[in-house]
Amino acid sequence: MAASTLAQTVALSRRSVVNIWRQPQVWVPSLLFPLLFAALNSAALGKVPGQLADRFGIHPFGPNDRFVDFLFVATLTQGVLFGSLSGGSELAQDIESGFFDRLVTTPVARASILVGRLAGSAALGAVQALVFIGIFFAFGARVAGGAAGALVLPVAAALLALAIGGLACAMAIRTGSVEAVQGAFPLLFITLFVSSAFFPTVLMKGWYRAVATHNPLTYMIDGMRHQVLYGFDAGQAARAVLVPGALAALAIGLCLVTLRSRLASR
Amino acid sequence: MSNLPIEASGLVRRFGTFVAVDHVDLAVEPGEVFGFLGPNGAGKSTTVRMLTTLLTPSEGSARVAGFDVVRDAAKVRRAIGVALQDAAIDPLMTGNELLRLQATLQGIPRAAAASRGAELLERVGLTAAADKRVKAYSGGMRRRLDLALALIHQPRVLFLDEPTTGLDPTSRIALWEEVRYLNRGLGTTVLLTTQYLEEADQLAGRIAIIDGGRIVREGRPAELKAQVGSPTLRVEVEANGEQDKAAAVLAGFGEARPAADGVLAVGLDGGAASMADVVRALDDVGITVASMELHTPTLDDVFADATGRRLEGAAGDGDGDDGAG
Repeated sequence: MAASTLAQTVALSRRSVVNIWRQPQVWVPSLLFPLLFAALNSAALGKVPGQLADRFGIHPFGPNDRFVDFLFVATLTQGVLFGSLSGGSELAQDIESGFFDRLVTTPVARASILVGRLAGSAALGAVQALVFIGIFFAFGARVAGGAAGALVLPVAAALLALAIGGLACAMAIRTGSVEAVQGAFPLLFITLFVSSAFFPTVLMKGWYRAVATHNPLTYMIDGMRHQVLYGFDAGQAARAVLVPGALAALAIGLCLVTLRSRLASR
Repeated sequence: MSNLPIEASGLVRRFGTFVAVDHVDLAVEPGEVFGFLGPNGAGKSTTVRMLTTLLTPSEGSARVAGFDVVRDAAKVRRAIGVALQDAAIDPLMTGNELLRLQATLQGIPRAAAASRGAELLERVGLTAAADKRVKAYSGGMRRRLDLALALIHQPRVLFLDEPTTGLDPTSRIALWEEVRYLNRGLGTTVLLTTQYLEEADQLAGRIAIIDGGRIVREGRPAELKAQVGSPTLRVEVEANGEQDKAAAVLAGFGEARPAADGVLAVGLDGGAASMADVVRALDDVGITVASMELHTPTLDDVFADATGRRLEGAAGDGDGDDGAG
């Protein structure tokens, strides 16, 4: 990468991060609502792990039967999923407002425009993860995997943010519409709920269990959750990182193809 | 093709079956302010978007700063400054931040960018507002910042797409002054699109009038006005029923010209001196004149002569920026 291309990418990334920071309405809900949801879930289902252990001798929520530890990764994933859409919304906003055209009339590398925008999503994802770790620690959650296990969480979160941000950006480039990007929110919501995020797959049944078991989010969440509930495990850590990493690579590729197609069809 | 700052040959742009730009030829001389005048939807913005590499021509070719807009698009982008319609500026950033970003995107080293940015902000009168977010800027301030952003890399060719649309008269005049300085002081070649006759008249050395995607007139404003010929006499008669009779009388003094409803217009072959004869002739047939105005030709007359329609007063109509503007 040429020095000027790197400088351009960094400048666009900085803009993306600064823009997100200057719009609390973008990042506050993706921090608050998952926490609120966690509080509600915890109040409603907090006793379930202990009761399952007492009555049936099973520990689907982890060896310590602590719902707060189980919810930790779900909350983090939920926050990242919802926050990551902002990258796509911001890009669609740039297209709608004409700012994207301003960028395109400069000699900037086309990939820098995308990377700059996605960097904002990744940074938001990583920061969200750190904030959630802090808050959950304050409420008694622990990461059994120690520092190494804890490190897996923001890395996986940032990669998931890149993946979702990439898909949102591809949608933004394709449609040029903020509403269309935000319309993906219910889809993400459903994808999250049909995964192991809020309930262990072993307690599910029928089609729901089948879908949740094969949901890529389940692979990632279970890998992250292993670090929290059982301790650091390299294989599980790889699963936690590689699944969103592969999704991110696919999403960024899709993004670049969509951008090339948009610019070529003008 | 020669090495003119802007040249186009047979430029066509279609959107589906709609032809937005229809075989446009352009040849803009170095150091010229070239005005592209036309109503909304005439094809001005579409032409600019092709010349600035934002749109690919459906047919024809164009070169900007000596480079082909399709084959050498990256080189064109390095040579041009662009201020598009609606001043698309990120409202969350400050003027300073946007100038720094634009400088980086243009590959200007940081130190040079800082001094150049400060100089530009001062020139467009935004030094005091440089650290305020753009969302707090007025429309005029945004336009001036937009211009500063377009100039950060000292482009050889500057495209201004309707730069004063929506501005108050004071801001409009301030922006005109800046364009004059860029052109006369720095020798920048400017292609300016506008739907305002006065703007084209004030700023442009040469004008192309575009309508329905085609250039219908091109030349220096004074030459174009002279081509329209004699001054136009506009007459309103008191009784509606007398319009046909009045038109017959006026026909004796020159050719009828397009005019608003209820108004008769004629190109006075005898010039201003024949006005008294017109009044007498109308009086002789018993027609009472409600009002009478003599207009020396304007660019609106040139437009009307070329298209059969008036541009004046149509500025707020039309389709806006629909890709065909």
